[in-house]
Amino acid sequence: MKKYLGWFGLIARLVLGGVLLAAGLLKYQHLDKSQMAVRAYELLPISIANFLGIILPFVEIAVGILLIIGAATKVSAVLSGILMIAFIIGISQAWARGLSIDCGCFGGGGQVEPGTANYLPELLRDGGLALLAIYLFRYPQSKFGLDRNPSDGEQNNG
Amino acid sequence: MVKENPGKDSFTRNLVIAVVVGVVLIMLVPTILSKQTNSSAKIPANVSADRGYGVVFNGDVKDVPVVDIYEDFQCPICMQFEKLNGQYIESLITEKKATVVYHTLSFLGPESINAANAGACSADEGKFLNFHRTLYANQQAENSGAWSNDVLVVLGQTAGIASKNFTSCVKNLAYKDWVSNVAAAGAKANVNSTPTVFVNGKELDRNTEYFSADKFKAAIERG
Repeated sequence: MKKYLGWFGLIARLVLGGVLLAAGLLKYQHLDKSQMAVRAYELLPISIANFLGIILPFVEIAVGILLIIGAATKVSAVLSGILMIAFIIGISQAWARGLSIDCGCFGGGGQVEPGTANYLPELLRDGGLALLAIYLFRYPQSKFGLDRNPSDGEQNNG
Repeated sequence: MVKENPGKDSFTRNLVIAVVVGVVLIMLVPTILSKQTNSSAKIPANVSADRGYGVVFNGDVKDVPVVDIYEDFQCPICMQFEKLNGQYIESLITEKKATVVYHTLSFLGPESINAANAGACSADEGKFLNFHRTLYANQQAENSGAWSNDVLVVLGQTAGIASKNFTSCVKNLAYKDWVSNVAAAGAKANVNSTPTVFVNGKELDRNTEYFSADKFKAAIERG
């Protein structure tokens, strides 16, 4: 079982990192829209939402790259876990309050025609990604990463 | 041997982390700065910074409702809105029954920026409304190359603008900074969709008032 952990960690890293990197790059090209997407959640004061709309794609790109190359896996896992939980809260409250918005997860965003918002698949996806982040936090060792393996670490530190 | 390897590994790893974080930060800072309102940007005729950098008609007419319209020339729903209510809005302007402020947002991509910039150039020629109408009448798929600056110059001629200034203004994106000021002001006004219409600062009801000519008219007259 233990020898498969590394491979599972690699898959978790690539999936979570790939999704974050793609989401960040798509939003990076349309930052006005990204700001609009954050505002549309009606959760934060407008100035903070606008600021977050600019910052978020950059954070996603950085964390995505770090996860894919497997550097600082544990910290990246914590950051992406926080992001996913924030997205889940944002989408849930939009759903509960009956807002009609596009989640803006991969670009897009803002208000949509009433009744066309589709929140459940977004929540399931973010929930799954959050589980991957938790897994990587618990077991950060994985194949083909730049982080040192804990087993090597023990040897070297000793 | 045992001592060398871990040192090397951590160094590479830390260097990679530093490079990734560093590059992202270096890209982030100018982006944040470019999103700030640039108060020294050149602004076109009839534009008021106090009114969110919009193109203003009847700004000095008293006791009439103020109608703020946020739109993106490339947005298909804005085109439908224009088809339904455009003529009525223009009549409000010509009959001096309302102050109308057009905010040309540009969140749909590069050709939205081209179009908004050309709109500003047309305001300088006193032909904003003609040009506005012409653009919507010729709207194509987003960023399909339909609104390159060369095409926008030709559309300007269709709208009755035949000046060299207009041509160079469009081709040089002379009002690029103004376009981003309009976008920043729209963000501050919490505009999350186009078209968005405020009458005396109050947004119309998205479920009913945008796409019914009667209800739209009633909302404006109510003030």
